Amino acid sequence: MESRTRILFLMLAASTALPGCASLRWPWQHEPPPVSESAPADTDNAPPPRVIEPEVERREIKVAKIDQENIEVGAFYGVMSVDDFGSNPVYGASITYHVTEDFFFRAEGGQTKLGLTSFEILNPGSDPLNLGTDRRLTYYGLSIGYNFLPGEVFLGRNQAMNSTFYVLGGVGSTKFADDERFTLNFGGGYKVLPTDWLAVSIEVQDRVYESDIFGKNELVNNLEAYLNLTVFF
Amino acid sequence: MFVAAPAAHAAKEYLQVFVAEPYLEMRTGPGRGYPVTQVVGRGESVEILKRRTDWLKVRTERGIEGWAAQRDMVRTQLADGSYLTIDLGDRNGYRSHRWEAGGMVGDFDGANLVSGYLAFSLNDHLKIDASVSQFLGVTSNATPADRSGYTLDIGLNHVFFPEWRLSPFVTLGGGLFNVNEDPQNPQAVDLHDESAYYGAGFRFYLTRRFFVRGEYKNRVVFTSRNDNEELEEWKVGLAFFF
Repeated sequence: MESRTRILFLMLAASTALPGCASLRWPWQHEPPPVSESAPADTDNAPPPRVIEPEVERREIKVAKIDQENIEVGAFYGVMSVDDFGSNPVYGASITYHVTEDFFFRAEGGQTKLGLTSFEILNPGSDPLNLGTDRRLTYYGLSIGYNFLPGEVFLGRNQAMNSTFYVLGGVGSTKFADDERFTLNFGGGYKVLPTDWLAVSIEVQDRVYESDIFGKNELVNNLEAYLNLTVFF
Repeated sequence: MFVAAPAAHAAKEYLQVFVAEPYLEMRTGPGRGYPVTQVVGRGESVEILKRRTDWLKVRTERGIEGWAAQRDMVRTQLADGSYLTIDLGDRNGYRSHRWEAGGMVGDFDGANLVSGYLAFSLNDHLKIDASVSQFLGVTSNATPADRSGYTLDIGLNHVFFPEWRLSPFVTLGGGLFNVNEDPQNPQAVDLHDESAYYGAGFRFYLTRRFFVRGEYKNRVVFTSRNDNEELEEWKVGLAFFF
């Protein structure tokens, strides 16, 4: 306990001694990002050079009123094939941040129910993995994605909707049977946007991890395909 | 409905800008792959409805909507004749931004590590950094050296030279350290502890809004045992600022 207090005290002391604290300001005094390179800077009324450089007053950004719409949130439903446990419905939710028109970051989490292994089918009533009634598999993933082949799809003569293909890959974990595994995920999808703020995508992903649940270490591939309905805001 | 619509438009006031170049192209979607369907001539105005990544949705005087590129929009003028200024998400933004976030992978004392973080900049040098990490042991029989759990941390980062492309930083903080209960070893003590860490790392600007971040953390876990536990953590990943 004593050492905890000591370390906490040291942390506090060190953080105030950090050189950056000298220029510490409150969040609401945050300096706006510098004027963009492509906007012409006004050089006419530049102040004369001084010995001590003052904190430069940045030009007021005039775009405060523009709504940003880079976040996409949604829910998905589909089928997941779990190695040795059959295919079952899978559902989950995702949140995506679009950094540029090409790249996005995505966090997603899903859940499915495990089917019976072939051993359990051949030996009714057996439960070799001690699963009991908890036959749930949950997973999450943090991915980076890339949009490609953007374009339009045409529904009849008067309707056009924006569309894009994308690929994504990342890391996360898969949890079932009291065991949680480091998981790699990768996949791709096709997205159609009926309006600017609504998107429907069909997506396929593979989640790969190493498991020794059946005694020996093996690489497991869980494939899933689902429909993802998302809104931008 | 048609009567109500103009009233709704009037309620929300959008920023109006005037085209100063010979023309402004409008596309059907926020991306260079979407077709150009409208052109707005010099001197005409557009209203800026919203922004997505590097594209701005605009509405012409005739009520036609489309997406214009940010790099074209910074050449439009406001009513007072000044140019529209937008944070372009370039190298300047890397030096000076408000928020950043990212994901990292690495090693947590022998276990695999997945980590996400969000940081708020107090100034160009100093950031408040919050991170959630999960460490995952490699076998199903958890031992003290091979266990799974997660950490929740909050701390301060000090970036020494934010204007450098490759920029070192130091970090200091504390948080919660949680170990998953192991069914094979149910009497394991200390599933929830507090911890403190110090560390150092680097940031490397890639392009646009992206940078690489890598770091090392040395963590002290305040256990209920007589001795504290020391853990080492390495990770590297991709991050972006906004």
